[in-house]
Amino acid sequence: MTVETMKVLICDDSMLARKKIKTALSQIGVTQVFEASDGEQAIAVFKDKRPDITLMDIVMPKIDGVEALKAILAEDPKAKVVMASSVGTQENLKEAIKAGAFDFLQKPVSEDQIKSLISKTVK
Amino acid sequence: MFTQFFGNYLLNKGLVDTQQLADALAIQKETRPRLGVLAINAGYMTAEQVDKVHAEQQRVDKRIGDIACDMGFLTREQVEELLSTQGAAHLQLGQALVNSGAMTNAAFADALNSYKKENSLNDVDFGGDSTGKIDDIIRKFYNFSEDDREAYLTEYVALLFKNIIRFIGDDFTPLASEHLNKADAVLAAAQKINGDFACTTIIEALSNSYLGFASRYAGEELTELDEMAHASTGEFLNLHNGLFTVNVSNEMNTELKLEPQEIMETGCSMQGEVYGIPLVFPFGLVRFLLVL
Repeated sequence: MTVETMKVLICDDSMLARKKIKTALSQIGVTQVFEASDGEQAIAVFKDKRPDITLMDIVMPKIDGVEALKAILAEDPKAKVVMASSVGTQENLKEAIKAGAFDFLQKPVSEDQIKSLISKTVK
Repeated sequence: MFTQFFGNYLLNKGLVDTQQLADALAIQKETRPRLGVLAINAGYMTAEQVDKVHAEQQRVDKRIGDIACDMGFLTREQVEELLSTQGAAHLQLGQALVNSGAMTNAAFADALNSYKKENSLNDVDFGGDSTGKIDDIIRKFYNFSEDDREAYLTEYVALLFKNIIRFIGDDFTPLASEHLNKADAVLAAAQKINGDFACTTIIEALSNSYLGFASRYAGEELTELDEMAHASTGEFLNLHNGLFTVNVSNEMNTELKLEPQEIMETGCSMQGEVYGIPLVFPFGLVRFLLVL
C-alpha cells in the first residue's frame, strides 16, 4: 500500500473537523477519502468502501464512536480504527483500547499527527 | 489572561465604555506600546513625567527614549529593557486606549497600578499563566465561592478562557458575570455534560457575532449561517468540553460524559440555575451559559 492508494474514512459529526482532517490528508497525498457524520453512517461506509484506516470521533449522534468501532471490528477484525477525540480521558482511552482501537489521537488533531499516523500505517 | 480581566476593570470603574473597549481590542494587535506606557507600567516614570517628555518631543526632533534620558527620567539600560517588552497585551490595550483618546496616560497609569495592587499582580503574572492566581480571580469575578460546585465551575471557566485565547484570540474582555434562573438564546450551539457535574453548556450570540466567532475558530471568513458556521461553533464547544472532561478525569478523578452538540438556529429557552459569561470581542458580544 502507498499513500496514493490508501483509503481513509473520517467519521466525525463536525463538518469542520472532517474538513480539517481531509485537508491535512490531501497535503500528504491521500486522495481517497470518505466521510461519515455519525456512527451509523460510519459502519455503512466502512462496509461499502473497506478503508485502510478509519478515523473515529467518540461523541457522535445515533451510535457513538466506541460502539461504531466495535461494529467495524466485528465486521473486519483486522480493521485499523483510530479514535480521534477531544474526550481523551483515561476511561475513554481504556475503553477504546479494550474495544480494539489501533491508536488514539487527542483533538485538536494536528497535521503532524495525521502525517505520522499515515506513515505508520503505510509501513 | 489577566489582560482580559483588566479590560473589565476599566469598564467597571467607568474609565472606558464598551464601545471604546471594543474599538481598542480591534486595533490592539497592531498597536505597539510607546515608551511612556512601558515606563509607567514598569514604575520608572510617572504619567506627569511622560507627558513632559511628549511635550518636549513636540519641540525637539529626538526619540522619546533619548529625551527621557536627557531629562534624567530613565537610564539607557532602562530604555533597552523597556523596548524589549513591547509585546505585552495589556500594554498594547492601554496604548490603543490612549491613542484613541479614550484614556490619558495618567488615567491609564492609575488604573494599571490600582489593578495590580488589588490583585497582587506583577508583570510576570500579566503575561503568564499562573494557575493559582487565575483561579482566584475567576472565583472572585464569577462569585463561585458560595457554590458547592465551585471546583468544577472554576476549572470550567479557567479552561474556557485558555481555550478561547488558544483557538479564538486574546482580544476579548469579560463583562460582569450573570447568575440567572433562565437561559434565553436567539442563536446557539449547546452540549450537555452528564455525571457529577451535570449541566448544559451553551454558546449564544446574535448572528454577526456568532459568525465572527465561527470564522475565528474555522480560520476562514464565514459570512453565512450555514452548516460550516454551525459546525465551527459547535466544534469549539465540543473541543472545550472534551478537554474539560479530560482535566476533570485527571485532576478530580471523576468521569463526565458528553452528549453530541446541538445547534439551535431558532434559539432556545431553558429553566434552571444559569451562570452567564458574556465576553466582548471586536466582532461583538458572545455569551457562554452554564445551565445547571
